[in-house]
Amino acid sequence: MSILSSSSLPEMQAGPRRWSSAQRTGAVLLGAIAVMALLGPWLFAVDPARQQLDLFLQPPSLAEPLGYDPLGRSMLARLLYGSRLSLSLALLSVLSAAVPGTLAGILAPWCGGWTERVMAALADAVLALPGLLLVLLLAAFAPGGFWPLYIGLALALWVEYFRVVRAACHILLASPQVEASRLLGFGALYIVRRHLLPALLPRLLTLMRFGLAGSVLAMSALGFVGVGLQPPTPELGVMMIELLPYYREAPWLVGAPVLVLLSTLLGLQLLAPAQEVT
Amino acid sequence: MSVAATPAALRVADLTVWQGSHTLVRRVHFSIPAGGVLTLLGESGSGKSLLAQAIMGNLPGTLRSSGSIEIAGQLSDAADSGARRRGWGRSIALLPQEPWLALDPTMPVIQQVAETYELVSHAGVDDGRDSLRTARAAARERAAAALDSLGLQAAAAKYPFMISGGMAQRVAFLATHAAGAPLMIIDEPTKGLDADRRDEVLALLLAARAQGMSLLCITHDVWLARALGGQLAVMRDGEMVEQGPAAEVLATPRYAYTQRLLAADPACWPAAPTVPVAPVTGPVIAELRQVSKSFGKHRLFSTVDMRIHAGEIIAVTGPSGAGKTSLGNIALGLLKPDVGTVVRAPGLARTAFQKIYQDPAAAFVPTVSLRCSLQDLMRLHALDWAMLESLLVRMRIAPVLLDRLPRQVSGGELQRIALARVLWMKPALIFADEPTSRLDPLTQQDVMTLLVEQARALGTAVLLVTHDADIVRCVADRQIRLE
Repeated sequence: MSILSSSSLPEMQAGPRRWSSAQRTGAVLLGAIAVMALLGPWLFAVDPARQQLDLFLQPPSLAEPLGYDPLGRSMLARLLYGSRLSLSLALLSVLSAAVPGTLAGILAPWCGGWTERVMAALADAVLALPGLLLVLLLAAFAPGGFWPLYIGLALALWVEYFRVVRAACHILLASPQVEASRLLGFGALYIVRRHLLPALLPRLLTLMRFGLAGSVLAMSALGFVGVGLQPPTPELGVMMIELLPYYREAPWLVGAPVLVLLSTLLGLQLLAPAQEVT
Repeated sequence: MSVAATPAALRVADLTVWQGSHTLVRRVHFSIPAGGVLTLLGESGSGKSLLAQAIMGNLPGTLRSSGSIEIAGQLSDAADSGARRRGWGRSIALLPQEPWLALDPTMPVIQQVAETYELVSHAGVDDGRDSLRTARAAARERAAAALDSLGLQAAAAKYPFMISGGMAQRVAFLATHAAGAPLMIIDEPTKGLDADRRDEVLALLLAARAQGMSLLCITHDVWLARALGGQLAVMRDGEMVEQGPAAEVLATPRYAYTQRLLAADPACWPAAPTVPVAPVTGPVIAELRQVSKSFGKHRLFSTVDMRIHAGEIIAVTGPSGAGKTSLGNIALGLLKPDVGTVVRAPGLARTAFQKIYQDPAAAFVPTVSLRCSLQDLMRLHALDWAMLESLLVRMRIAPVLLDRLPRQVSGGELQRIALARVLWMKPALIFADEPTSRLDPLTQQDVMTLLVEQARALGTAVLLVTHDADIVRCVADRQIRLE
């Protein structure tokens, strides 16, 4: 047991929450990556698929800041297109897992009884299947294209949001603050907006951060087994796998997509509120 | 200054605690002789707990301290907390407030006590007589014996959430005491406990004293200070305003503040001025018929009949676990009874029944300012903001407080804001669930007086759960006792 109780001093700073320097750094980092991914392909107008085989593995120069890849394609162009595709797909699949997962996680303890039991059983059933298998199954029904891919990812990933949110909501819905609001006549939407979401947000952000990294890697893994995105498409995960054999000759090639993913995650990590609970 | 044969258990000289330019504890001096008791009395926010933390050496990071602290002859600088940290558990121990929160919920009781025997007071291991394995077995034996001595043998294998608050307090006491520290700081031992449990705590402390332990007891409970005896010091705004033998200070307080503090003890309140012996004539606003409730196999109460008339104040009393809160929640419609019916008078608004909580901070949205919460309420019901402002004036709440978050406002202030919020809804019934048990005497009297005064003025019925017989005597029209 702990011998000492934690002290509870009132914090004197009231009013709007200030951004810490870490949070500002994170915001700048994410802003830069967003600008790069959104505007990059338009500013640096080089076709990422055009091969100039005589230029293969040429080191960086002023005209080509990242040089050429083993097939003589412009590495910068591929990186910019790849970032746009990977990050938007990852964001899409994370959001499409987080939103239904959170809603279900709030709904289940709210309704209670049989509704909750059925939803929990469904979640456990999904959890019993490996996520990759689920995606492969879907890809087999509708081969090619992004849609089965990202629906599959969402179907596999919503469970963790559901479970975390449900556990937290059980406690929150039974708390005096929610009871007081109900007695004062507030409706469900108000309770979700004022009581549940602010308390859930830190946990959700943590999960989404892990989910974002996970889904970029999951997509590349799917590409590797021949489902979903295939090598000519510039995609961060596919590029990492493709370029890894050349790390000795041209380390900047495999370093570039890794760095983009790393700084995205770093930015998200820095942006998260300091008193985060996982 | 005479040199005593045995050094004082604790001598504090010139202790000051400050944060930035803000002094929180100012030049405090006192000493406790070996085997003595000092009770620190004061309202919340007077710096009592900070003083204890400064003595232990675990002040929060942003606070600084100066002065000197001597524990059993070992002198150290107040700012040098490391010196005292080494003595934690062995020469000085602290029993935290609400100790049931300090117990590990995932560990059986006996293990938590044995842990201290094994890890903090491992004399045998230190001088190489025992191996770790035998130390562990010996620690378990000693823990079992210690639990026996306080009548806790049945609880040994249980987890902290399975035992009562009073038992948890005894377990925490054993765990902190196991390493044999001769000096113990006890922070608010009776906070949130009902009268029966308070007696248990007192017996525990008196037994510890009889064993020769020195105690520094921090409390806002005048009853405990009186029963514990020894020395008494009164703190206000970080300063020690009065100090002397407990009996003397309590009988003839010299300072106006001490006098007010003592007068605020419910035992000294004037009995209800207008004793309403007249039969209640108001219409019935809620009626419970043959209501029973049990949780699992535990029967709370059965076939209770209760009529609540408009404007009356009903006290609900009984030992903890008797179902006082459940009865109120059933009356409010928050809980469904197993058997029986609850009838609300027709024509009452959906929000006509309101509740005031034991912990006011738990009843507000924690993430937005109080003003924001109250404005949400105003928009929802199209209420009159001016009415709230006049209620707040009557509660003596400065409007600037509303711009703070709930946790940045003191408990007494927040409870008065909660009361204003509830009264703003013009309720027919307020269920007040131990509304003052966590407040210090001055604030308690304040909140209780305002609650009764406003309820009488507005003709609101109050269902008051309390464990304090004095409060019942002073404010209630009638009493329902649950066994």
